[in-house]
Amino acid sequence: MKVYSIESLHDAFQSGKVEPKDYYQQIYKEAQFQQKRLNAFAYTTFGKAEKDLKNADFQNILSGIPYVLKDNLCTQNIYTTASSRMLEDYIPTYNAHVVDLLERQGCCLIGKSSMDELGMGFTNMTALTGPVYNPWDVSRIAGGSSGGSAALVASGLIPFALGSDTGDSIRRPAGYCGVVGMKPTWGRVSRYGLIPYASSLDTIGALTRNVRDMAIVMKNISGHDHRDMTSSFQSVPRYFHHLSLDISHLKIAFFKNIYDSLTDLQMKKIFDDMVVLLKQQGAKVDEIDFPERYLKSLVPVYNIIANGESTSNHACLDGIKYGMREDEKSIEDIVIQSRSRGFTKSTQQRFILGMLVLKEENQEKMFRKSQKVRRLIVEELNHIFQHYDLIISLNSDSIAPHIQDAMKKSSSLVDAQLLLANLAGLPSLTLPCGFVDDMPVAINLTGRLFEEQTVLNCAYALENVLPFKNQYVRGDHFEI
Amino acid sequence: MKFETVIGIEVHCELKTKSKMFSSAPVSFGKKPNTQVHAIDLAMPGTLPSVNQKAVEMAIRVCHALHMDIQDLLSFDRKNYFYADLPKGYQITQHYHPIGSHGYIEIDVNQENMRIDIERLHLEEDTAKLTHLSDESLIDYNRAGIPLIEIVSKPQIKNSLQACAYLEALRYLFIYTDVSDAVMAQGSMRCDINISLKPETSQQYGVKVEIKNLNSLSNVQKAIDYEIQRQTALLLDGKPILQQTRRFDEKTQTTVAMRNKETTADYRYYPEPNILPIKLDSKWIQQIKDKLPLLPKQRKDIYINQYQLSYNDARILIDHKELSDFYNQTVQICPHYQLVCHWLIGDVLSYLNKSHQSIHAILHVEDFAKLMHFVADKTLSTKQAKQVLELMMTKHKDPVSVIEEYHFQQINDDHILMKVIDEILDYQPDLIKEYSQGKTKIVGFLVGQVMQKTNGQANPQKTNQLLMKELEKRKQ
Repeated sequence: MKVYSIESLHDAFQSGKVEPKDYYQQIYKEAQFQQKRLNAFAYTTFGKAEKDLKNADFQNILSGIPYVLKDNLCTQNIYTTASSRMLEDYIPTYNAHVVDLLERQGCCLIGKSSMDELGMGFTNMTALTGPVYNPWDVSRIAGGSSGGSAALVASGLIPFALGSDTGDSIRRPAGYCGVVGMKPTWGRVSRYGLIPYASSLDTIGALTRNVRDMAIVMKNISGHDHRDMTSSFQSVPRYFHHLSLDISHLKIAFFKNIYDSLTDLQMKKIFDDMVVLLKQQGAKVDEIDFPERYLKSLVPVYNIIANGESTSNHACLDGIKYGMREDEKSIEDIVIQSRSRGFTKSTQQRFILGMLVLKEENQEKMFRKSQKVRRLIVEELNHIFQHYDLIISLNSDSIAPHIQDAMKKSSSLVDAQLLLANLAGLPSLTLPCGFVDDMPVAINLTGRLFEEQTVLNCAYALENVLPFKNQYVRGDHFEI
Repeated sequence: MKFETVIGIEVHCELKTKSKMFSSAPVSFGKKPNTQVHAIDLAMPGTLPSVNQKAVEMAIRVCHALHMDIQDLLSFDRKNYFYADLPKGYQITQHYHPIGSHGYIEIDVNQENMRIDIERLHLEEDTAKLTHLSDESLIDYNRAGIPLIEIVSKPQIKNSLQACAYLEALRYLFIYTDVSDAVMAQGSMRCDINISLKPETSQQYGVKVEIKNLNSLSNVQKAIDYEIQRQTALLLDGKPILQQTRRFDEKTQTTVAMRNKETTADYRYYPEPNILPIKLDSKWIQQIKDKLPLLPKQRKDIYINQYQLSYNDARILIDHKELSDFYNQTVQICPHYQLVCHWLIGDVLSYLNKSHQSIHAILHVEDFAKLMHFVADKTLSTKQAKQVLELMMTKHKDPVSVIEEYHFQQINDDHILMKVIDEILDYQPDLIKEYSQGKTKIVGFLVGQVMQKTNGQANPQKTNQLLMKELEKRKQ
């Protein structure tokens, strides 16, 4: 099967070089192959794609383009489980806002992708349908929580997928799988119909194989929605039309303490090369300090806020109205037993943590304090963004870990810095930028609020001088 | 030892918005269970709340009416607890920054004014309705998400009489500000009573007991009176009062314990992350105030001090907002304040009560004002006016056409009246004789005959005068 980007597939459909129906038959076959290899689908929705394709007129850029949704994005009349036993049989009566938008454009949904339960995790090992394997090396993890979306885009099956990012859930798997992943500014994309993790951190974003496609998708899912009161009224620029390779005016910063924490020399070298490439194109790149105490507080602050919010966000999953129910004598027992059996142990641990940090006697010194630290971090970032347009860093200090090591990996400073974009609501993009041990390595670019365009442009310029644009790995030699 | 009762009241009032507090599902009562429900009300995963602007407006209206400080940064919080009637597992409420604070209401206790301070007013959403059967529980989500305001009084109420007066005053306020029907029996207005007793000389509050399940004012009164009795007896016996939630039991007419409250529940309140604080436009807040109708207390002052109505008449008008509105409009055109009032709270009100109709459906202000003019200038006798009014209300006609159609105009013309009088006297010379012999009672009988002959249209006073004159003349 020939692999296309959004743009090239659109051209091929329009010019008649590719017959859509035939192409979709190939996709279905290829999807089955990739499913056996990667275990990245929660379900396939070929029947729906078939119907959607009939209505596609191929006039606008996304019409007839196949895609995949992370399984926490609600789809009317189609299972949406958020990878939790609790919602194993849940069929929403409504589409997420982003799904409505893409359907209006004529996109064809071919499946829902695997994820960590309720979006809680960075390994994709806690998925209801089992781990997702990394397309570059199936003995390694794809990363999470949008692991299915990242793996499927990296396999070349589809040109784009949607994911969600609460801490790093688009960008980490994108980095591990060697694709482009972006979370927008919080409030840029309506969250209506996204089964939440933590409301004040959750964003819906996309995974693609090049920056031009990313610009197309981000534009098409962004904009105000009256059903999400936190969605912004700011107008959305036509990212694609404003893409520019000229980054000579950009001022870019990276944090010295994060850079210094890199121990892998190959990784360090890749980052050094990126700095050189950016400078060669005229950008100013400075090494600056970010207070160590803030960096060290990122993970605890994030955990306290995310789990505090999640414990009440998921209190609706009680087995009474929908979802899994354990039949018991009393209402109280129904709730207790359904929740005990409907969630994995690690999710239950997060709920317990969330309960603890919100308890009256703990709230001030834990939840409230974390929010105060969050505010301080935001102020620090605001200060930096007075002088710089972007902050860059490696996406991770390592390549995707082997499955057996995945749960052991502790969060490094490099990993933790991805949380900055969620705590401060900033747009952040991860771009493939090298290989170590035949596994992809990525760089992360984070910009000012609502300045997705700057982030996209810098990634566009970098991508242009790197050999990773449109890369995919089909795994031809994989034996079923 | 003498004890002093300390009572604080929490009132919940359902707002009569078109749609729910955070969803577009309709707010309507008496519908089939689970038909007035949006995915948001069922807390379907991924759904998000949108604040109902009309509910905010109504809350502000009540805030203004209660002279409250209005928080112009509208924010909501989550109150977390698991219960089957709470679909989200939390209730969206305003814990940290209630929309209204520091208000008061003037109440009327046995014709004496009293002021009760109000601590706070906040917006929240109603829960689903649970019905427990012998072996199963049913949930109706129609009620889930209906906008509520909660009003918390300061503990300044001292007895059941004041408590009822306070609740009554609030009920009228809700009705007058047009935010709710506030029917306690139907649950659109609910109250919880916090009550404690302390020795008169003590500064320290006693142990607080909360009473729930009070669906009428008379039950509120009974519950408080019973509770004062119960707690007094316990205290005199030297027994402790437990911190409890009790409910009023209709059967025994007493309060019974529901649960002990040694520790207060931890609701793990925190700011609702899906609704960012909303800055309310001060002009909008002012506009809502400017559009506020005259409130019961203001009306009472005007009726009694300006219009010279009696206390009771004023009360009757105010007890019926429609009637009071109608009265206010009528006296703008026809400023016979007492006359208009008596007619409205007399014939009109009794007709309304009998026919269960709204006044606007059966009477126009202009028509009624015209009728009152006819009564005031004696164009119609009282008896005629009553008949005209009845025809106006039953046949939906204006007074002029009723008078024409049914010949109701009073005959004041001397010539016409004299013609009738002559006719009667001409045929009954005996009567004149009787009159001349001093039987003046005859006059009444003759007036009646004139009235009969004229279908009641003759002006009785005038007829009387003319008859006397004529009888005197014929006597000689």
